[in-house]
Amino acid sequence: MDDLAFGVQVSALGLGLVFGLLAFLWLLLTLASRLEPRQRVAEVAPAGIEIRAADGEAEIEPTLVAAIAVAVSQHVELRRRQAAPAMRTYWPGSLMFASRWVAAGRMRQSQSWRRRRS
Amino acid sequence: MSPGAIDQLLAGITGLTWQSIVMFAVAGVLLYLAIARDYEPLLLVPIASGAILANLPLSPVVGEDGLLSILYAAGVENELFPVLIFIGIGAMTDFGPLLENPRLVLLGAAGQFGIFGVLLVALLLGFTRAESASIGVIGAIDGPTSIYVSGQLAPHLLGPITVAAYSYMALVPVILPPIMRALTSQSERRIRMQPAGRVVSRRTRILFPIGTTLLVGTLVPFATPLVGSLMLGNLLRESQVVQRLTGAASNELANVVTLFLGLAIGSTMIGTSFLAASTLAILALGILAFGLDAAAGIVFAKLLNRASGGTFNPLIGAAGISAFPMAARVVQRVAQTEDFENFPLMHAMGANAAGQVASTVAGGVLLALVAGAGG
Repeated sequence: MDDLAFGVQVSALGLGLVFGLLAFLWLLLTLASRLEPRQRVAEVAPAGIEIRAADGEAEIEPTLVAAIAVAVSQHVELRRRQAAPAMRTYWPGSLMFASRWVAAGRMRQSQSWRRRRS
Repeated sequence: MSPGAIDQLLAGITGLTWQSIVMFAVAGVLLYLAIARDYEPLLLVPIASGAILANLPLSPVVGEDGLLSILYAAGVENELFPVLIFIGIGAMTDFGPLLENPRLVLLGAAGQFGIFGVLLVALLLGFTRAESASIGVIGAIDGPTSIYVSGQLAPHLLGPITVAAYSYMALVPVILPPIMRALTSQSERRIRMQPAGRVVSRRTRILFPIGTTLLVGTLVPFATPLVGSLMLGNLLRESQVVQRLTGAASNELANVVTLFLGLAIGSTMIGTSFLAASTLAILALGILAFGLDAAAGIVFAKLLNRASGGTFNPLIGAAGISAFPMAARVVQRVAQTEDFENFPLMHAMGANAAGQVASTVAGGVLLALVAGAGG
């Protein structure tokens, strides 16, 4: 019974101390961050860049341009993942031409050994 | 040929015991986990090798002037190896995600609940105070801390405690996900957290290890070797002026000491003492400590989620343990199975880094409370 009472005391005191110490560390870190000059991660589209519309076109909002850029890059990435012909870098028939699936298959064939896990 | 010579020749075979054969099988399991499953191979391979060497019949590597005994006396008995390893860990750890979001430090504290919960259970099972504290410290999920604390409080349990600590660290990807899924709802797992978006200056990065050492070292002197060496390694890294030392600490020093530490720990796994009911109890209590850590972290993160108006993903709480960076990676993986475009990784890394600091603090606090009370 003595041991159990000791255990309860150690647990309560121990957890309290760990929380207390780390809470104090949290306070210090927060204070340190407040004293720092505020420095944010750079925005994706830096302010001040002027986007001009072509002659005769309506003005395009910078956010719309950013959205279009993201959409285009995602579309390109998707096509690349699908190994679509539009994304071919090398002419069909050349040794360098292969979709990712074909390249992976060739790689497996050319390995003289294979790990058990694979 | 004299019968004595024949006996001498057959001494190896006649000296083989069932305990040593079982220990070869245990070492085989550890080697399988390390080599085939890639679970903590850096430590499990030397530990298993040390266990095989120590359990060979009439093994000359243990005992007086034996290689493994010398390693044990040189670095484990006097706590040198775990402390040196902490210098390497500090040199490899980026505390940036924690410094960007300091409130995550509390998750590290919640992740130490298992230590104290299991201490109580071990006392109920009849272990002594010092043994219970040593078993509880498996809940730090931190090998060097477990070795440091149990080496001082219960050196006779060092073998099973170290094996449990490192095995469970290796099994983080297996043990954590079911607990995370059981304690969180799908909508909670899908919560997307905003990036902290703050740049931490070099000055803060340098002041953090110095301030933490001063704070913890002053308030809990027992934790000074652990926190001090961890923060020394980190100061080397963040100062950016001693890259040779940083490289040496995180590569050569960490690798050499890991090898020696693993071999020395393996040498304590001698069948006659390791194969006891208490070993099984320690392994069971170790996994309980791990589960309690993860559960307490998640519950605490749920409180933070409630306090923040539903913007805090409770999965992050499971990363408040010391297994760095494995726990954070598991959080990311579980979150991504629910929502492929959810990236809580950096927040989880912050909680994981907090877990590292918290485990060393908890180890020191436990030592102070138990050794100080004459445990």
